[in-house]
Amino acid sequence: MSASLSAPARTRRRSRQIRIRWTMFGFVVPALIVYLAMVIVPSLQSIQLSFTNWDGIADDYDYVGFANYTDMLTSGRFWNAVKNTLLLGIGSAIIINAISLGMALLLDRLVHLQGLFRTAVYLPALVSAFIVATIWKYLLNYNFGFVNTFLRDVGVPDAARDWLGDSDIVVWVILFIVCFTLGGNTTLIYLANLQSVPQELLEAARIDGAGKIQVFLNVTWPMIAGGVTINVTLALIAGWTIFDQVMVLTSGGPGFVSETMAFFIYKVGFGEYRAGFGSAAAVVLFLVVLISSAATNGYMRKREIQA
Amino acid sequence: MTTTSETKALVAGMTTKPFKEKKRWTVGEIVTMAVITVLVLIVATPVLYALVNSFRSYAEITTDPMGLPTTFNFDNYVQLFQQTDFGEAVLNTLIITVVTVVLLVLLVPMAAYGIERVGGRAGRFLYLLFIAGLMIPFQVRMIPLVEAFNEVGLYSTLTSVILVHLGGAASFGVLLYSSFIRGIPMDVEEAADVDGAGRLRTFWQIVFPMLLPATSAFVITQALGLWNDFFIPLVFLDSSSAGTINVAINRMVGLLTSQWQLIYTGAILAIIPSVAIFAGFQRFFVKGLAVGAVKG
Repeated sequence: MSASLSAPARTRRRSRQIRIRWTMFGFVVPALIVYLAMVIVPSLQSIQLSFTNWDGIADDYDYVGFANYTDMLTSGRFWNAVKNTLLLGIGSAIIINAISLGMALLLDRLVHLQGLFRTAVYLPALVSAFIVATIWKYLLNYNFGFVNTFLRDVGVPDAARDWLGDSDIVVWVILFIVCFTLGGNTTLIYLANLQSVPQELLEAARIDGAGKIQVFLNVTWPMIAGGVTINVTLALIAGWTIFDQVMVLTSGGPGFVSETMAFFIYKVGFGEYRAGFGSAAAVVLFLVVLISSAATNGYMRKREIQA
Repeated sequence: MTTTSETKALVAGMTTKPFKEKKRWTVGEIVTMAVITVLVLIVATPVLYALVNSFRSYAEITTDPMGLPTTFNFDNYVQLFQQTDFGEAVLNTLIITVVTVVLLVLLVPMAAYGIERVGGRAGRFLYLLFIAGLMIPFQVRMIPLVEAFNEVGLYSTLTSVILVHLGGAASFGVLLYSSFIRGIPMDVEEAADVDGAGRLRTFWQIVFPMLLPATSAFVITQALGLWNDFFIPLVFLDSSSAGTINVAINRMVGLLTSQWQLIYTGAILAIIPSVAIFAGFQRFFVKGLAVGAVKG
């Protein structure tokens, strides 16, 4: 292009730029349609349904204002589900992250065969939560289960009990099964983060006379803070929506003792024909996820900067 | 091979870290390996127990829960397929996994690329719109989706399960591809002076191959997740369908109360393909995950 043509050339280039942007938007459209139809629209519909008394089957329903929300907040069953969700969510996030970081630190020590051991540690994570829970259901069977048989064989028959039928312990049993893992992805993310810590930094700290624990607390831990943020946020989101284990192991029982919010929504919405009420619980679950993700991220990011 | 690595070690040793290049076995390392091995075995115990008992009969399992198989045969495996519609469930799971992964690879990289190239405020808005889905649990959208699929007559079809999965996976996909696309130069595409359909061809011929590391990480995580999923098919496939493997096993737990051996057998069969997928793509997987994690 010569200089004398610059003005029209610029207009032409501008219109070309605009045309390219529209073409590029066209690239987004197919995925966008599916995403809007499958995620955004139904989520908004849930908010709408949460203000109705819909049973999930009938053609019509009435708007009942905040009745579902007030019913929910005065329902002991709902608060029990919230309590279980908090216990399982926070408990599993802390325990699984601790296990994963421990495993990553062990793997990071290896000079030989690290790939082999990394694979071995990852293997148990290939088994789905559903399958693991199903096997545990039989392991915990009162009469013929592995656990009680083992306890009787080693001479402590009094320790054998109805693990999934005892209201006092059932939620803790579920927490144990959720946390019976070596971390899988969480461990790999920690390992990748540990390996990106510059050796020089660790070496310098050691030369300055720092002990192993001091090196970890003052050098490694701040350096992997980004990984901690990701892992804790992901673990909490997974924790708030624990469903498979409850569905398989107890179906929320005995009674409603071991219900989580995710299970409560499923049970109320489909099993008890209270779709409006279930939708209100779903909206509350969304708020929990939103607030906890924002809070963990905010808190952790602040810590990262200080460190 | 040896000579080059030795030379490298020598050079490295002369310059920076003389201690690190001598890869000696230490007691500490062997102890660490032993500890890891024991932990893996403990966590794998339930699966190993299921494997052992998939070769035993119900009578054997209940009279001697800690016993080992007396005979080694695949009777339970044959029975599982003969007595139940497990074969159909395997096929359903396979169809859902493969079709969803293929559609995701057709739609998501293109969308992420489009978002990055639209740029500006519009691009930012589209990006955040997709990412918002990461914070919307499936439970939040489940009730209206069941109603909608009922209305259009797709409830309890594989199509419904596939569509629901597509929406759910789009968010993670856009996150993954966008961060990857930002990291690679796009001059190639800029230089090609083409429009419309030409740009589509440019994308698939030039850009898409450059996204291979992201694609392999995406495919393996999604394939494993789809294969292992339980909740979505549970909600969208009723008894008119054979269900997926996990849904079929869940039904068996209720129906075949005195056939534990078949449950164990089904569980083992459900695990084998996950291990196969992982074994096949492990190399890409670890790399892809590590890249994403350190960046993020």
